[in-house]
This record gives sequence, C-alpha cells and structure tokens, in this order.
Amino acid sequence: MAVTGLYCDYATQGEQSTTNMLGAILNQLFEADGIPESLRQVFRAEKKGFGGRATQLLELVGMVKAAIALIPQVFICIDGLDECLPKNRRELLESLQDIVRALPTTRVFLSGRPHIQDEIKRYFAGAIMIAVVPTIKDIERYLRMRLDRDPTPSAMDDDLRAEIVRVIPRKISKM
Amino acid sequence: MNKTDDEDNQIKQWLSPLEPRCKHRSVQANRVDGVGGWLLERSEFREWRKRQVLPKQVVLFCYGDPGVGKTHIRSVRKLSLASGNY
Repeated sequence: MAVTGLYCDYATQGEQSTTNMLGAILNQLFEADGIPESLRQVFRAEKKGFGGRATQLLELVGMVKAAIALIPQVFICIDGLDECLPKNRRELLESLQDIVRALPTTRVFLSGRPHIQDEIKRYFAGAIMIAVVPTIKDIERYLRMRLDRDPTPSAMDDDLRAEIVRVIPRKISKM
Repeated sequence: MNKTDDEDNQIKQWLSPLEPRCKHRSVQANRVDGVGGWLLERSEFREWRKRQVLPKQVVLFCYGDPGVGKTHIRSVRKLSLASGNY
C-alpha cells in the first residue's frame, strides 16, 4: 500500500504547477520500490526535461498510472485544493479523473473550502462530501494542549483553567 | 554519496521540487492526539476506505472554512491508513 500526499498553499502557488504536483506524487510512489529503470532511461536521454508542457503533463499522468498499477492499493491525498490556482486545479482534477478511471482501486482524499464542492462534483459526480466541523471534544483537546504549554502556568489557577476548557468549546460550537 | 543516490536525487528534483513530506512532518509535530478522530468512525469514510466500493465513490472531499482542522483531519487519516489502525 502507498499513501501519497500534497499540501496546496497560496504562499507557494508559483512552484505548485500541475506537473510539479503530479511529480511529487510520483516521487512518493517510488519510495517503496525505487525509481524504475524505464524512467532512468527517459531521464538520461532528456536531462533537460521533457519537450512541450502538454506532453509533459500527459506523460506524467501516464507514469503515475504505471506506478499505481504496480501497487495493490494507493491513496492520493490533496490538502487545501482551494489554494491552488484555478487552472492548476482543473488540470489536477482532470488528471485524477483519468487516473481513477484507469485504476479504480485508487482512493482520492481531498480537502478544501466549501466553495469548490461543485467543481469537484463536475469531475467526480459520486464524490462523498463530508463537512468538517470541530467537535467540542476536539476543541477541548486543543485548549488543554495550549494550556499545558502556557509559559507562565502560575498565573492561572485550576478554576480558571477548568472554566476556559468548559466555556470556550461550547461558544465556538455555537458559531 | 554513490552514483545511484546522486542520480536518484537528480531524478526526484527533475520530477518535482515540491517536498510534501517535510510539510507533513511539521503538521504531524503540531497535531493534538485524538483530534479529528471522529472521521474514522464515519460510515462514509469506512466505505470509501474499502478496496471494493463502487468506482463512483473513490473520491472523498472534506470541506470546511479556514481553521476548522481540515489539514489535521487529513493528517489523522493518513496516519490511520498507514498503520491500518482505524
């Protein structure tokens, strides 16, 4: 099994081209069994990269498919999909569509802001949509962690601490 | 570093300069134990995770506004996939 993942980020949109994103997935797919000889040959032949950009993307999708086909189960996780440029997001979703059509045991996990739901549905009509809302328990856990890291714990007594953990999660969950 | 390692690194760079594993380590380091664990109990997640589900349901999208914990959810999930413990 292989679990691959990417984080999209507004701050580094420049280097998050679709080809770089697929290339990063490919690198992770090679982690277990190493880089295949066929790819080494392509690399040696064209040390300066592939030809045109379109060819490169298609070629990469082909390489990702070939790599996935050798692994019993592959998960592709992409976090913050709303943070990549719209053009790249389209190309990425198209590439993923192509990949899962060819290899239906592949599982794709995406996360992002709600507004890209419709776009995802256009490519994957049956996609499962789950709203992420922090649970009261999650907020409590987070608060306790922050309180434990408090640099001046003596400034707070146990009552105040208990009050914080009791009141804040309930306020937040009502927002 | 021997010759093969050197070529491996060149190929990796050629394929992509992105290093999501680094970011993943920092997310892991900042996560709080147990946060987002609810996702693992959801029936949709369990169905999606099974190998033989309808091909239409191969994609799972977790959505939410900034700061609700989507990144950490993914991180939780990734961990649980890798360990097979969910």
